Amino acid sequence: MDMQIETRLSDQIARYMDLATSELKLTAANMANIDTPGYKAMGMDFEAEMREALNGVDQGRGARPVSVKAVDGLIARPDGNNVSMDREGLNLAEAQLKFKTGVALLHQEYQREMDAIHADSK
Amino acid sequence: MNLFGLMETSGSAMQAERMRAEVVAANMANAETTRTASGGPYHRQMVVFAASQGDPGFLNSLADASGGASSTGSASMPAMPSTNGEAVAPGVEIAQVVEDPAAPLKRYDPGHPDAGPDGYVSYPDINPLTEMVDLMGATRAYGLNSSAVQAEKGMISSALEIAKS
Repeated sequence: MDMQIETRLSDQIARYMDLATSELKLTAANMANIDTPGYKAMGMDFEAEMREALNGVDQGRGARPVSVKAVDGLIARPDGNNVSMDREGLNLAEAQLKFKTGVALLHQEYQREMDAIHADSK
Repeated sequence: MNLFGLMETSGSAMQAERMRAEVVAANMANAETTRTASGGPYHRQMVVFAASQGDPGFLNSLADASGGASSTGSASMPAMPSTNGEAVAPGVEIAQVVEDPAAPLKRYDPGHPDAGPDGYVSYPDINPLTEMVDLMGATRAYGLNSSAVQAEKGMISSALEIAKS
């Protein structure tokens, strides 16, 4: 049986963390432009991107740039800006938690590999 | 994925909001100023924010330097996410600081050295309420972006935990 440091699961978790970072990047850009007249909040479809990333891991493709689109259903202020502080605050917390989940999972995965490496040293 | 780029985005916003607060402070400080370098009373200043396109120089030169290596799948430098070629604004910048063209307020004070021949003195049209609301907005937006920086810092340090046993 062949053993690799980079497992399928660790690749998948890496993509998951990449996407959480992209989400945070969009949130940070929206927050930065909270007072820019005419700015429209940008968002991404996390689930669709994750599905695509999982397919990408299985087919050995590299990470693709995330497709970003303007968020629908937000109420624009009179200056044309539609960034919602509540939405961005929630997204910030969510992206952070996703990233931390990824860190914990990846840590466990590497821990498992370390255990396998040290299996005979007891 | 570049976590440090996020700090640049939030940092540009914090810089812009600080500048906005400074302009508000200058307005309030000069609420009674009747003499300026350009002559006449002080005029209220306002900042204009614009979504910045950032400085692509560093990333581009990095991508150029890594050359062909960047085309090999996951090793590539992921570009800023884009929607049909249109890049997401990586931050905000102050496009310009404009002067409020509103006419000065006239107050009758014939003893004032800057009084006109009719005895009226021109004072800047500055409303403390407007300025305070603007200052509050700047403070809140500054806090919002600084909490984003806090989140980014948390993510970077938790990423460092991966390698710890």
